[in-house]
Amino acid sequence: MRKVFKSILAICLVVVMLGAFAGCGDSSGGPNSPTIKVAFHVDKKSKEGIAYSRRVDAFNLAYKSQGIEIQASYIARSADAAGYEDKLLTQKSSGTLPDIITFDAPNCASYARSKILYDVTNLVSSDVKNDFITVNEYNGKLYGLPIQESSAGFFYNKKIFRDAGVDVSQYTVENPWTFAQFKDVCERIKSHCPTYAVDMQLKNTNSEMATYLLYPLIYAAGGQFLSEDGRTATGYYDSAATKNGFNFIKDLHTLGYTGYDIGDTDFYTGKVGMYLSSGWTIPELDSRDYAPFQSRDDWGLLPYPKDVTRASATGSWSYGVTDNGRTDKTNVIKVLEFLCSKESSEVVTNATGMISALKSVNKNYAVGSPEDILLKQLSTTGKARPVTIGYTAFSTQFGRTIREMKDSNDINTVISNRTSGLQSDLNMIK
Amino acid sequence: MENSVVISDYEKMRRKQKTINAIKSTVYYVCGTILSLIFLFPLIYMFVTSGKSQGVFANDAGTFRMFLIDFSNLGMFATNYVRVLTEYDMYKYALNSIIYAVVAIVLNILVNGLAGYALSKFNFPGKSFFSFIILFLMVVPVETSIIPLYSIVVNTLGFKGDAAVFAVILPPAISIFNIFLFIQFFSGIPKEYEEAASLDGAGTMRIFFSMILPLSKPIIATVATFTFIGVWNDYLWPTLVLPPPNEWSWPLYPIQSALTTIQNITGVSEGEKMASLVITSIPIFAVYIAAQKYIVNGFGSAGLKL
Amino acid sequence: MLGSMLIVFGAFALIFLGVVGFDLIKAKANGTQYNMRTSFVAYGLLIPAVILGFIFVLLPIIYSLGYAFTDYDFFDPEGMTFVWFDQFKLIFEEFARKGDIFLSLINTLKFVVVVVPLQIGLALALALFVNNERKCVGLFKVCFFAPVAISLAVTSYLWKSIMSPSETGLMNLILGVFNIPPQSYIEDVNNAMYWIAILSAWQGCGYQMLIFLSGLSNVRKELYEAASLDGAGSFRQFLHITIPGLRSISVYVIITVFIGACRVMIQPYLMSGYYSHTMTLSLYMYTYGTRYHLVGYSSAVALLMTIVIGLITYLQRRFLTEKD
Repeated sequence: MRKVFKSILAICLVVVMLGAFAGCGDSSGGPNSPTIKVAFHVDKKSKEGIAYSRRVDAFNLAYKSQGIEIQASYIARSADAAGYEDKLLTQKSSGTLPDIITFDAPNCASYARSKILYDVTNLVSSDVKNDFITVNEYNGKLYGLPIQESSAGFFYNKKIFRDAGVDVSQYTVENPWTFAQFKDVCERIKSHCPTYAVDMQLKNTNSEMATYLLYPLIYAAGGQFLSEDGRTATGYYDSAATKNGFNFIKDLHTLGYTGYDIGDTDFYTGKVGMYLSSGWTIPELDSRDYAPFQSRDDWGLLPYPKDVTRASATGSWSYGVTDNGRTDKTNVIKVLEFLCSKESSEVVTNATGMISALKSVNKNYAVGSPEDILLKQLSTTGKARPVTIGYTAFSTQFGRTIREMKDSNDINTVISNRTSGLQSDLNMIK
Repeated sequence: MENSVVISDYEKMRRKQKTINAIKSTVYYVCGTILSLIFLFPLIYMFVTSGKSQGVFANDAGTFRMFLIDFSNLGMFATNYVRVLTEYDMYKYALNSIIYAVVAIVLNILVNGLAGYALSKFNFPGKSFFSFIILFLMVVPVETSIIPLYSIVVNTLGFKGDAAVFAVILPPAISIFNIFLFIQFFSGIPKEYEEAASLDGAGTMRIFFSMILPLSKPIIATVATFTFIGVWNDYLWPTLVLPPPNEWSWPLYPIQSALTTIQNITGVSEGEKMASLVITSIPIFAVYIAAQKYIVNGFGSAGLKL
Repeated sequence: MLGSMLIVFGAFALIFLGVVGFDLIKAKANGTQYNMRTSFVAYGLLIPAVILGFIFVLLPIIYSLGYAFTDYDFFDPEGMTFVWFDQFKLIFEEFARKGDIFLSLINTLKFVVVVVPLQIGLALALALFVNNERKCVGLFKVCFFAPVAISLAVTSYLWKSIMSPSETGLMNLILGVFNIPPQSYIEDVNNAMYWIAILSAWQGCGYQMLIFLSGLSNVRKELYEAASLDGAGSFRQFLHITIPGLRSISVYVIITVFIGACRVMIQPYLMSGYYSHTMTLSLYMYTYGTRYHLVGYSSAVALLMTIVIGLITYLQRRFLTEKD
């Protein structure tokens, strides 16, 4: 009896102490305090997070005399984006947004419209406006600066290609392979691959992955997704050229070149001949964790195939200034410019292996090296994902198109169903 | 002569019965083992994979070897576990989760226990109102209520910054389902106990703490276990309300945030991911095994009448 | 916000006072009386639960149901206006043109029809299996309960990899031994929901097993002894003693499993995704409410769902308990 009361008393004390602790812990100050809060979408312990925290430390050291300080927070993003993005939305609703956030470029339009992001068109000096800012423009205004850029391509297993007697050295970024040549290569290496000729990541339609990797093929076929203002899908998503693009992907499946049942590591273990993936695969293959890939002589990279035109995947994360009630943005812009500077870009891209958003930072890679191919592809054929405030709906419907094509022989019905679904979603998202 | 025949018949029957029993229990244990494996294989997989390097993991994926320990390199177990525990501060997050869970459990038992006590043992006007509300709340879907809950907790109550820990421990302190369980359980305790105590001059609170609660070990174990599992496994809500970890102070995030982080950092091997999962599973099993003896009776001798 | 909170609180307080008044009048008419002192003690005991329950459970639900009559967009909270029944009109239009909400309903029904009997059957079978005094049954109980406690993400990943539709998938290799052609499992658009239901039953039945065990421990042992003296076999004992003994607990299990099944979301999401063949009503609500920020619309779906589930639960209760 006594014990129970004592323990309850103890717990009450702990709770009260916690409360007192909380009371004096909030030191954020007014809306224009010299402390600039920055939120990053990665964990502090990841390679990318370590790079960011080094830049934050460098800033705090350099600006100590001026009394400006960065308070950084690191929230890892889970696969379905729960966590970081939900957190931003709820912070927006409670008026506790940090001053600078990182965001995935396709979300720019919806963040800008919902006043999460602040218009920085006239605030940023032109020498830090880096080379890929168009991904952060919405209605002619600038809402962010890219941290880095990305490109993707087809990684291939050189041993399988040698065994099949297939030479792909003539396919370059300037003169890529055509859809027909792509199919031809698949046909010839197919019998030399334990499972499939190519992993197109068709099963990853639940996340942004499939959308990010596959949308350039539709553009290459001359297709479109949405009208210029991002409001209309009918007439664009179901146009004949768009259907041609989807048909190309469907053909690869029908002909048995690719499948929806390829394991995540099947390319790495030599079961699949080619692998459509982004630049982040380079450090993984270089790590020598996988028996078939012990040096760069064992694998290579091929650009996106062309059809009526050329197109390749782009887009990565950007910095954005938020609309959080702070009226004096001078110090925030100082931080933004520091984080987008040449030095910062170097530190971050060295850690991630991605392409810098500043052309001057990117090294001169050996001609024909994977990095060189990605960089060239980005600057010549890179085409961004559609700009729309209903981007999530677009990406969801794109994933469903890919998934639902699998079990349907009538691809026209699938596309027309998805077009009407996307149109009604866009009508609802005002 | 006849006598010995009877005895040997009896012996035969006994032996026969014995062999039948032996066969029966062999069959029982074989079935039990197979069934257990069907339910346990994810754990086996988690444990086995937590001792593999990325290359071995990729090679074994999709084959029977994915359930076998990689005996050629047992040192990987130590490597993976040490890395996960030291590199990602898992112990800090685990300690947070344990504190949140313990506070939530104590509050839960007090708040819901008292309510269940009032609703099961007292007769008062307006009781049917509470019964209806409880039934209503057990039926409605709550998927969309997280958004208004956030507005209430953060905007109206002002649980921001470090005060957000209240937003993590207070909502799990109330559970309609647990009130329901307490009502069911307390209804099974004979009224004579309280009447006797009340004749001795004990007050309501004293009866509750010194008599009802000690009699209620099963329900307390049940509520504690499921509250623990709930708080321990919750990811979305704490991540939404708590301030993200920063460089200069102890992080407030719970264990599931650390787990999600580890699962999603590029460059973390599958072995390390599984090691972190094994670590986060251990407390749940420890609590469950410790409470198992009581849980079966916790669902109420009165028989859960809705 | 605080103002509307007080209004909602006031409304509930009024209803409560109404019920109190009604009870007092009824008591007077019956000639009975409430003890004032115990009544106030009871109210006192309820205070912590009422405060916490009102703020953290009831209020959010009331709000989210109230949003059903607005065009609340989470991205634009200031622009919220009352639109009365427009969201419901939209839902019925979607439904009439057999849009996603129609598919979600069909998939949810497919799931409910399989998972409710399967999960309850499995749970009862497991409970009967471990309801004895042999050694090691405690260990079995821990094993059967394990999937309840393990992260769903891991179990989903494992099942997906085991049930890979390719010929080299583990399950298909096993079937190959018995000359059964490879199956597509969760990838099969016609049967995906049934497979998800099976895996969901596997995952959740450990919990209901515990509840059944508690029911079994309440069936009096003497009844079995008497029956076996009468020469009743174990099957007849099961039919005439165990089943009736489990009646009231079964009603509870059926209703809770049914409600849980109607709200299934995370299993189809992790094992498949938001596709025409695996979208459920809750997943639909999540997609529109959280991912597209259309809180008003998804709250309207939630409100309709609540009404339907509530009605069915009410009918189940009446139907199942009246037979007593």
